[in-house]
Amino acid sequence: MTTAAKVPAITGLDGEGELARIVLDWTPVPWETVVDHYAVYGVRGADDVDVEPDTLLAKTVYPYFEHRGLGGASEQWVYRVVTVDAAGSRSRPSAPVTISSVESVSVSGTPLAVVGEFDGKGLEFALSPDGYAQYNATFPDGVDFRYGTDQAGTGWSYLQPGPADSWAGRRDHLFRLRFDLAEVPTDDVDLALWLIDSHATIPGSAVLTVNGTEVDRLTFDGGATKGSTQGDSTVPGSPLKPSYIERTLPAGLLADGENTLELFKDDGSWIAYDAIGVFARAAG
Amino acid sequence: MAQRRAAPILDRRTFLQLSGVSSAAIALGIAAPEAAADESVNVPDGVFGLGVASGEPGARSVVLWTRLAPEPLAPDGHGGMPLRPVPVRWEVATDESFRRVVRRGTVVASPELAHAVHPHVDGLQPGREYFYRFTAGRQVSPVGRTKTLPARGELAASFSFATASCQAWYHGHFGAYRHMAAEELDAVFFVGDYIYEYGITDANLWRQGATVTPEHAVEIETLEQYRLRYALFKSDPHLQAVHALAPWIVTWDDHEVQNNYGADGSRYGVSPEHFVHLRAVAYRAFYENLPLSLSTLPDGPDAALYRRFDAGSLARFNILDTRQYRDAPPADTDDQYDERRTMLGPEQEQWLYDGMIGSPATWNVCVNGVTVAAITEDRTDQWDGYPAARRRLIDAMQQSTNPVVLTGDIHRHVAAELKADFADPSSSTVGVELICSSIASDGDGSPTDRYTPDWIQHPYVKLYDGRRGYVHCRMTPEELTSEFKIVQWIRADADAPLETVARFVTRAGTPGLEKQG
Repeated sequence: MTTAAKVPAITGLDGEGELARIVLDWTPVPWETVVDHYAVYGVRGADDVDVEPDTLLAKTVYPYFEHRGLGGASEQWVYRVVTVDAAGSRSRPSAPVTISSVESVSVSGTPLAVVGEFDGKGLEFALSPDGYAQYNATFPDGVDFRYGTDQAGTGWSYLQPGPADSWAGRRDHLFRLRFDLAEVPTDDVDLALWLIDSHATIPGSAVLTVNGTEVDRLTFDGGATKGSTQGDSTVPGSPLKPSYIERTLPAGLLADGENTLELFKDDGSWIAYDAIGVFARAAG
Repeated sequence: MAQRRAAPILDRRTFLQLSGVSSAAIALGIAAPEAAADESVNVPDGVFGLGVASGEPGARSVVLWTRLAPEPLAPDGHGGMPLRPVPVRWEVATDESFRRVVRRGTVVASPELAHAVHPHVDGLQPGREYFYRFTAGRQVSPVGRTKTLPARGELAASFSFATASCQAWYHGHFGAYRHMAAEELDAVFFVGDYIYEYGITDANLWRQGATVTPEHAVEIETLEQYRLRYALFKSDPHLQAVHALAPWIVTWDDHEVQNNYGADGSRYGVSPEHFVHLRAVAYRAFYENLPLSLSTLPDGPDAALYRRFDAGSLARFNILDTRQYRDAPPADTDDQYDERRTMLGPEQEQWLYDGMIGSPATWNVCVNGVTVAAITEDRTDQWDGYPAARRRLIDAMQQSTNPVVLTGDIHRHVAAELKADFADPSSSTVGVELICSSIASDGDGSPTDRYTPDWIQHPYVKLYDGRRGYVHCRMTPEELTSEFKIVQWIRADADAPLETVARFVTRAGTPGLEKQG
């Protein structure tokens, strides 16, 4: 039996804080060691982490781990990684690394219009988690959602298809969010668009338009092509690959009264929503 | 109460101090010194819970297999075994009661291989039946039956085998295997999807009466999860019975790793740099859990699976790997029809053609994962996605004798004639493709379904049936008889009777499918 001293520990543990997640990577052990998995240990807000069952976050075969579901607030975590080989023997823990996630505008800002909850789940949306076959019948003209009046569970589809999706008619799809403002913010505002998943190879892009002004083309990260049938990326072992877009909307785009924000998906396949919102920045 | 003597524990050093067998062979469960055998070694009860198997038959050899697992579904993937090596003795006899033992030996089951052993037994007689069993401590395994291949150059009177694929345990009971276990077989060819990687939840657990613990609910990724998945599927008694019936010759398709993967390419967003780590553990678990020879033991993320078996001069079986070396899915039509596209990779392709062209065998068989016959342009995971490679394969078949393709993957029985030019159905028939339905994947199924028109639109497709089952084949020097067998249901239980939905004869020298009855 391989002794623990013979199972090499990983090196180069590093990470990057992102929105709602921390991405770790490391140098895998050489192929000579047949790895069962890497055990990732972590604890929030401490100087170091004890390697024990209570702090085990995940087992992964990849030299990479996305610590997801951290929410919109910035969180500081410390991690260590242990190599477990095919015989069940364990290495000594790696050196620790401390990383903080990035705070979301959904936390720092004041909501002007929000659909869904920024929680890693899309279960609150219409047709979730696997009703895509009813999309065409339910949303023949896409989504036209009025904030404050419509309900996410009936008015906003969990998937926004693209022209590559045969089940949605191989056509472009427009999602529109309407919201009223009694007073226009003087500063820039922020858009937060969180996805629980997207198509893995052709997530494509969408044109972002605010009050008739084309602002940008949003390009989506490849997901895992699983969010069409699963709605919760926070379940342990979930195969979903969430992604996050937060970007500034320049001052002057918004107006008193009704505003419209549109996402026109004219490229690629579907995206699966976690939440979408527009946020004013805190004063000062 | 009798006092039990404390059982000795054998450690690695003890084994390595014993002479005569290399440390590598010991560690890999291939061989060990006789002195290592010690029936007083403490082994947990029920250690042969995953059954026994044989495979890789030669004219004078066979590989035996078992994996010690007193608790097959232990979450850590080690089957309830202590994390230390255990000696295992094996015996091969010419009779089921082991009065005439002709070979015996000892191997070491080590935690590095999940306590799987793969002893290579040689010195056997060609074309004859043998029986084998294992002993660990004082526990004796069930008895397995195996058979060597006919002697080199011998034109055997007949060779019978079954083909099977796609055994999604959670979709139903293995009633098809219950019937296969009653067949008289010289070999079983498994053509892919021995396990499935998906999480098993209420949504897909259609096997009535079955329950699984939460460990099974997630898509598998680590070696312990792959080991656990094999253990779950191999817990089926009918699958164990067929493994104990005849030597298996196996290849893989995609689900032994991940749905629709190719080479280092995932369809689910895993980068190639990372995907090879998944492939490494998946290929490792495949080796550990099947009766394969040492040549298939992976080296990191690579494993040499393609190989060849000669059943005397009656048949040559080319076992193909249609996953590890294939090009990525086509980006567009131009890419799809690129002359350089490869399904097998250049080395395997050349190896195959070298083995087919000028082969001395009456029947030249390709055992492969995905459909060769042209069906629709958008079935790019099949050879339809690799038309230039298919044309080269068909060209090689035309220079071979009586080519036959055995396939799985589609969960349907299909019999097709392979054409010199699929775009011209009046072109000559080169060979036949016999596609076996799934053992369990897709549940009960039905004779026809929404995919039927895609297949039967072609005059060269002679059978389509969407129910579960297997294909039984009997080869003689004159003809190949293929019988497509089904069971009407699998979700409720394994009790459905066996039916033969079609029988075809392919005459040597006259490629094609003659439907009988």
